[in-house]
Amino acid sequence: MFDFPFKSIEEALYMNGHGIYVWSVVLVVTFCLIYAFAYYKIKLKKFKKKFNEPN
Amino acid sequence: MYKYIFYFSLFIYIFSLVWGVLFTQEDFVQGNSFRIIYLHVPASFLSQSIYAAMAISSVIYLIWRVKLSAYLILAMAPIGALVTFLALFSGSVWGIPTWGTWWQWDARITSTLILFIMYLGLISLHNSFSNHEKADKLLSWLVIVGFVNIPIIKKSVDWWSTLHQSASITLTDKPTIDPSMLYPLIGSIIGFFGIVICLIIISSKVQIFKREKTKSWIKDYV
Repeated sequence: MFDFPFKSIEEALYMNGHGIYVWSVVLVVTFCLIYAFAYYKIKLKKFKKKFNEPN
Repeated sequence: MYKYIFYFSLFIYIFSLVWGVLFTQEDFVQGNSFRIIYLHVPASFLSQSIYAAMAISSVIYLIWRVKLSAYLILAMAPIGALVTFLALFSGSVWGIPTWGTWWQWDARITSTLILFIMYLGLISLHNSFSNHEKADKLLSWLVIVGFVNIPIIKKSVDWWSTLHQSASITLTDKPTIDPSMLYPLIGSIIGFFGIVICLIIISSKVQIFKREKTKSWIKDYV
């Protein structure tokens, strides 16, 4: 069930010409998730900082 | 608490993704491009689930006037838009080697595009109002009306002749996908679901801070 079907890392990246499609989707999904988390975390931090500031 | 859910979901998602993308056999028909399934299916599933959750929140808001429901709708909408974008993007990229085109105006793709536009429309509509309560009410009604699109997306592959394949996993029938491909797919759906839930929790906190900033309890909370 956990068989590595490729002969080398290069082949795993290339995937018989399909690597460009697969890895580009992996990259975009990863980027979007990291961006979304960073965006909301920074926003939340800013709110907390604002509330903690003395009036 | 949500941090534990996040780390657990992240572990499941990465593990399932690595398993699916690197440790499953090539598909007989689609070749290696089928590996996009581990990113496309969780995003598609979540894009509809988030909208369904928004519709439930809308009903709760309109009946019981629970403020938190209105904040939840606002918190979920941008994340729903992002996830729908990911579903459309991954589907389009998958279409290039499989169908020979990145876009086709078929029922499933078009109804998903409508869902994406609906998310964007709901966000901009709410932002255009200065009266928040009025905007919440209108938004809730629109979300409920727009819910009609969800069964259309779900059933589009059965009702119309489309390029898109029918569902490989259903609640009633046996999966049509090999177990070696199915297990990492289930893992990636569960992992992605957990990650998005955490994202919604953080986004909801932002909404609460934004809307309740003048209240005294919020300073005590922070």
